[in-house]
Order: sequence, then C-alpha cells, then structure tokens
Amino acid sequence: MNLVRAELLKIRTTSTWWWLAVGAFVSIALAFAFNAWMASTVLGGDAETLGVSGEQATPAAQAANIYTSGQYLGLMFVMLIGILMVTNEFFHQTATTTFLATPRRTSVILGKLAAASLLGFLFWLATTVIDLVAGATFLSLNDHGTQLGEWPVQRALLFNLLAYAIWTILGVGIGTLITNQLGAVITAAVLYLVGTQVVGLLFLLLSNLLDSQAVLKWQVIWPAVASQVMISEGQSEFVPAWWVGALVLVGYAIVSGVAGVLITRRRDIA
Amino acid sequence: MSDGQRSPTSDGQIVVSGLTKQYRNVRAVNNLSFTIEPGRVTGFLGPNGAGKTTTLRMLLNLVTPTSGTATISGHRYADLTEPLRHVGAVLEASSAHKGRTGINHLRVICAAAGLPKRRADEALALVGLTPAAKRKFKGYSLGMKQRLGIAAAMLGDPRVLILDEPANGLDPEGIRWMRGFLKGLAHEGRTVLVSSHLLSEMQLLADDVVIIAAGQLVRQGPVEQVIGSMTHGGARVRVRTPHAEALVTALKAQNATVDADGQGALIVTGVDAPTVGRAALGAGVELHELTTERPDLEGVFLELTAGKAGIR
Repeated sequence: MNLVRAELLKIRTTSTWWWLAVGAFVSIALAFAFNAWMASTVLGGDAETLGVSGEQATPAAQAANIYTSGQYLGLMFVMLIGILMVTNEFFHQTATTTFLATPRRTSVILGKLAAASLLGFLFWLATTVIDLVAGATFLSLNDHGTQLGEWPVQRALLFNLLAYAIWTILGVGIGTLITNQLGAVITAAVLYLVGTQVVGLLFLLLSNLLDSQAVLKWQVIWPAVASQVMISEGQSEFVPAWWVGALVLVGYAIVSGVAGVLITRRRDIA
Repeated sequence: MSDGQRSPTSDGQIVVSGLTKQYRNVRAVNNLSFTIEPGRVTGFLGPNGAGKTTTLRMLLNLVTPTSGTATISGHRYADLTEPLRHVGAVLEASSAHKGRTGINHLRVICAAAGLPKRRADEALALVGLTPAAKRKFKGYSLGMKQRLGIAAAMLGDPRVLILDEPANGLDPEGIRWMRGFLKGLAHEGRTVLVSSHLLSEMQLLADDVVIIAAGQLVRQGPVEQVIGSMTHGGARVRVRTPHAEALVTALKAQNATVDADGQGALIVTGVDAPTVGRAALGAGVELHELTTERPDLEGVFLELTAGKAGIR
C-alpha cells in the first residue's frame, strides 16, 4: 500500500500527468464533435452515405459511440503514463533510490501496476463523466433519449473501463521491456496508432493469399484490434465476438505484467 | 525485526566475503573480503575501475553477485525488514526527477519506505537545504544535489551509512561540512563507509581504509598502520644547513643515510629528528630547517596500486 501511495505521489509531483490529461481532454473534445456529427447524420437517415448500416445504425450503437468519445486516443495516453512510470526511473536515474527504499522488486512493480490501473480508472472516470454529460445532453436535445438503459451502451462504458486499466498495465510492461524512454514511447505509439492499419493490411494480403476470409478474424491477436473488438457491437465473418477481444487483452496484460516482474527482479541496476 | 539485526556483535558491521562479479568480459570484483566496523569512518579506496562502485552496489542488492556474500549487521540488504531505517546510501548515480522539487523527492522516498512525512523536512534541515526545498531538482547545483542525496540517506536515521564519492562537486566549504558531518556520525557509533579517490581528503576523514585494485583487496587497516607498513625503516627527516659537509660527517657517525634532495636540503633516513638535532649541536652546525616527513596516504596508495590501475 505504501508503494502504491509512493507511485501516485511520484506522478502527482511532476507535470507529466497534467500534459497527458490536457491531451486526453483535447482528444475527447475533437472525437465528441465528430461522433455527434456522425450520429446526427446516421440517425437523420443518411446512414448509407457514411457507409454505416445494420446494428451500427441503431440509436443505441451511435449512443455507445458518443459515450466513448476520445477513448481511442485516451487509451494511448494512459499507456504512455504506464510507460513513463517505469522509464522515468531509468531516465532520471531514480531506480537506485526506489530499489534502496524497497529491495523487494516484485513489490515495486506490483505497486506500479496497481497505481497504473488506478490512474487508468481515474482517466476513464473523468472521460466518461464528460462524455455522459455532453452525450446525454446532445441525444436528448435531438429527441433520441439518453439511451443509457440500453445494454450495448452500458457494455461499451464498462468495457472501456477494462480497456483503460489493461492499457495502463501494458504500458508498465512495455516500460520494463524497453527502458529507454524515447524508444519505449515511440515504439508503443507506433504499435498503437500505425500498427492497427499495418496489421489490417497484412491480414488482408494474407486472406487473399490463403483465399480465406476467416483469417481476417485473427487480427484480434493485435492488442489495438482486440481493444476495438472488445468495445464494438456485434460480430461478423470478419470480426470475432467481443469476449475474444477481452480475453486477448487480459492475456497481454498478464504476460506483460509477469514479464515486467521477472525482468526487473534479475536486472542489475548500474 | 529479527534478533540478529540487533545483536551486539554484528550490529552495524559490514562483512564482505568472497565477493565476485563477473561481467561478460571483465571480472569487476574478484574474491573480495573485508570487514567494516561501526563507530569509525572507513575509506574505500581504489583507482578508477577497481570495482568500488560494483562492490557497493552488490552490498546494496542493486547488482547480483556472481558468488560470495555481502552483509550488513549480519543480513543481506534485501533481507532487512526496514532497510532505510538501518542503512542509508548515497550512490554516485543517485538522482532525482528533474521536474520534482527537493522536498517532494524526499516525500516520495518516505512514502515508499513507510517513514513519516516530517522526516523529509527534518532531513532537509539536517543538510542545510531547507531554503531550496521547493526548488526543482534541475535547478540544483552539483553541491546541492550531493546534499539532497545525503538527506535521502538520513531519512530513516540509519545505523550504517554508505557513500560513493560524496565529495564530488562540493566546494571547499562543502567538503569541510561533509567531513565534520561524517566524523560526527561515526562518533555517534554509526558505521560510515566512504568511497573516494580524493586521498588527501581521505587522510583527514578516515580512521580505517580498505584499498582495492583490479577487483582485489590490496590492504586493509587503520590509516596510520597502513601508512606505517609502507615506510621502510621509519620516517624521513629534511634538514637545511649552510654547513652541509660538516653535518653529513656528523650524521654518518650516527649510521644515518644522507641524500641531497637537489633543492639545497638534505634528506636523512635511519635516524629521527631529535638525533639529527643533537648531532648538529654536537658538531656546532647551524640548522635552518629540521622537519620530519611522513609519507602520506597518497604516496602509499600509489605505491600499493602501482601497475594495477587503469583500464581492464
């Protein structure tokens, strides 16, 4: 418990979290504006022009989209916090001080993981409160009701919470694997932002090559894709069920957390 | 807290036994053994690359030894229940987040170690940094950073202090402050282990020395004893006189060896200063200088580590 407190104090006493919060807020604002425009177009009867159809065109699906505005980039910001929690120790050479105060390194990493999930939760809470207030106001004004009673909406909100916690934990894991701060941040951001498209393309090529559309489902092994699958509604030939995405993400969190603990236990702090 | 940690025989004692660290190409520390006693300042000396820092890091569980053990009060550092209440360390690379204030740096450590928050203010006052408490670390001078490191080490009011090159970057005033501070801590019965290559400073500060070179022990003991062991046949006496020839004749009668130092003085070995004075008086020779020259720690250190220094 002391260690979780110390980790939270480390974050509170520097300005990093503040910049990431500003970044997250800006991405909420932009994404909300876009999603609101999309919802009013789709629900106004122009769904075809945007290429949205079926389950995605229902008020509930659009409401879920609005209520999770800004979470695509938000997840990246919490992952960056997780990365910085570890790499700062090496960048600023505070790892020595940290491990002198707590020679039990497993506890140090567990403390970081707990603090990271707590921060992920706080970011989710702030984002969701903003989205709920703005979204409910927007939907009510447009005569769709708040849609908060709908399961797809509730599910999207809850699973985003899971996504926030997991991505922060993944960040801690990445930080222990790549202790160079710049290297870790760039690798993670590229994997998250660019990786999704690249993986999509690779799987498209692979499915053409194998002449099998089922291969596309396997995109879910990529964490950013798994995250999308987990929060999106419905499944199809190309998209596996939400719980597959959830399982993949939890798997990544466990693997990176365990790897982080094992690597840190062995490492010589020079 | 186990009984062993408070037992009178091992309390505050540092024991290094057969310690070895093999890196890929280099044996940084090679079967090193020594003991550090409480109530004394011990200087840990060695040329660059001798393995001082690696040894201290193994003692503090930051680097895993290839073989051998290092214990503090009979326990490995990792097994101490509340390590910061027992051992305080200032390592060369210990640092703080550049954007964090000095006081917050200490508060983070207090939180992690379960120490009360007020210890951060007390430790800062102890090293005279209170006026800079709310300044960010990046605005600290090298001397202030060293003081903050010492404040961090003192948070738990530890029994044992381990410092790696603490005088680096300190101005003369800071060095004198550090000397008084560490001597005071040893006087209170604490163990103080200081690594350094500032030998003149060590001669003023240390009671005991441990000298290593190329990862191996070269000499260990009280400073005077280590110096004495290297002064073959006692001290040298420097004499200045306008009547050199008469004095040389008188001294040779006392079985002394006399050499010219090339700068107008005579260097006498084999007899002590009173003997030289008496001989001069007997010969009616006028003296302008009569000085006993003790070899210093620096001379002894260079002699002991000759050929073992340098890049491995």
